[in-house]
Amino acid sequence: MTAPFLHINGIRKTYGDVVATDHVELTIAEGEFMTFLGPSGSGKSTTLYILAGFQDPTAGDIRLRGRSILQTPSHKRNIGMVFQRYTLFPHLSVGENVAFPLRVRRMGQAEVTEKVKRALKLVRLDGFEDRMPARMSGGQQQRVALARALVYDPPVLLMDEPLSALDKKLREEIQHEIRRIHQETGVTILYVTHDQEEALRLSDRIAIFNRGKIEQVGTGPELYAGPATHFVADFIGDSAFLAGELDGIAGDQAGLRFADGTRVAGIPLHGAGRQGQAAELMLRPERVELTLEPGPQGRSLPVVVEDMTFLGNNTTVSARTGWGAALTVRLNFGHPLSAGLTRGDRLHIRWSPEAAHAFVKG
Amino acid sequence: MLLDFDKLGSWRWVLCAICVAMALFLLLPILFIVALSFGSSRWLIFPPPGWTLKWYGELFADPRWLGAALTSAKIGVIVMALSVALGLLASLALVRGKFRGRAVLRAFFLTPMVLPVVIVAVALYAAFLRLGLNGTLPGFVIAHLIVALPFAIITLTGALETFDPAIEDAAILCGASPWEARLRVTLPGIRHGVFSAAIFSFLISWDEVVLAIFMASPSLQTLPVKVWTTLRQDLTPVIAAASTLLVALTVILMIAAALIRKGKSE
Repeated sequence: MTAPFLHINGIRKTYGDVVATDHVELTIAEGEFMTFLGPSGSGKSTTLYILAGFQDPTAGDIRLRGRSILQTPSHKRNIGMVFQRYTLFPHLSVGENVAFPLRVRRMGQAEVTEKVKRALKLVRLDGFEDRMPARMSGGQQQRVALARALVYDPPVLLMDEPLSALDKKLREEIQHEIRRIHQETGVTILYVTHDQEEALRLSDRIAIFNRGKIEQVGTGPELYAGPATHFVADFIGDSAFLAGELDGIAGDQAGLRFADGTRVAGIPLHGAGRQGQAAELMLRPERVELTLEPGPQGRSLPVVVEDMTFLGNNTTVSARTGWGAALTVRLNFGHPLSAGLTRGDRLHIRWSPEAAHAFVKG
Repeated sequence: MLLDFDKLGSWRWVLCAICVAMALFLLLPILFIVALSFGSSRWLIFPPPGWTLKWYGELFADPRWLGAALTSAKIGVIVMALSVALGLLASLALVRGKFRGRAVLRAFFLTPMVLPVVIVAVALYAAFLRLGLNGTLPGFVIAHLIVALPFAIITLTGALETFDPAIEDAAILCGASPWEARLRVTLPGIRHGVFSAAIFSFLISWDEVVLAIFMASPSLQTLPVKVWTTLRQDLTPVIAAASTLLVALTVILMIAAALIRKGKSE
């Protein structure tokens, strides 16, 4: 078996008693767009900074094409990076900023001019060579930073929340640019963000970070359809959680019993659980259906309608379960039930087998 | 704003009067000296009975005055170079370093600013007697460096603190070694601070008199010391001419420093 292109092998980083990352394990294929997604302090940036060589891990190894890079100092790793803050060299023009990595590599002037021109064209800033960074917008500065990080053809490009300082519209515009640049250059990208929409839009695969650990790795649809933990289910997409306890476990499927004795069954169970252990039923609101009759095989719950809000393409229905937990269900415009619905109606919610998950608590 | 100048009414004129009085209080002695340097009377009479450039002629004809000015300039330039170089290294350690006791060290570096100069002078005089540095160029340079360095460190740490270390990190990932990154990116990035530190270091040495009196020998003295010793022997308007030139250079450099600051803010 050939070694993976990039192998983050059990990286652990502690500051005194504080564990920043704990046994982060990940392999990345050449040309892949991998995003580290997680809340702040989850260890995603620490992992990126260890890759850049600005921090040393307490334990673990990082291998690029089978070779450990931890002994190589940052400036010899030949890795590209775009930072969260604007990091263009303020005293140099755009052209000289992009030329900087080539100049420290003692490249000839003709080749420098040629490569700078090509890199600026890649980020659609051709002709901006003589502009000073202070006279450019934030979006333009980050595009120059991207050109500077790509001009020396690094095998890996690191991006640490590069768009977080920009407004929403500009962010989406540059996200498209980044996707296009990834496709044109084929460079392997490791991208850090706390914005799930950004992660879904850009990535081939996403690694979900929480408290210094990777909770789950997968493509956007994989994570959405099959979240392995409560945290992943909560972080990717909307979801409702109903707390109960495990009642009847059969293989990887389980039943749950709720406070008023209501039971559901046939729910895919994540994590090892015992009979009677506290657990949660997770439902995606857009995969839940409001019906007059209960569903088959225990895949439904009785609810009472509390309120309806008409929102154009859908009507959002607030409902309450028998033991008082709140839920929302969406009815698309034109749904047969939406016309005659009134407060206090007793109905059922139903779901298809793959739309619900049960997570063991604790 | 709480104190809006336009809404002060008649108090405005009081404020203006206080400002003018302050300015005169600060400037009059200097203007007085400048006027006397062009006055025709030998006895420093004010207002001067007539105008002449005679004293400037005498000043430039006397090799001792020129020698003192040259000594001052030489010491000033060396102090400037050393102060900026050492100040930069110290500031890098204070701002970018991650060792214990940084705050204490920083306060320690600034003590020459608050210590009475005459105490520093006496201490140095005693120490230099043993080392044989009194009356030598290195003696002058070391003495002036002690008082110039705190100003260089204040200016340079301030400049470094406003320069985002992520820019230096970016340069390192671009392939520059840490020292190359500091030299090619950080140093040009804080060049306004470096120029300011250089000008102030030079000026502190250029018009310093207390340490210089202790360090001076008959054969080696700075311009302020020459002014001081001449003043004690005879009260000639040549002193006024020398003082005027001293002030002129100071003013020019202060304007340069102000322009650099203005250029930075734009």
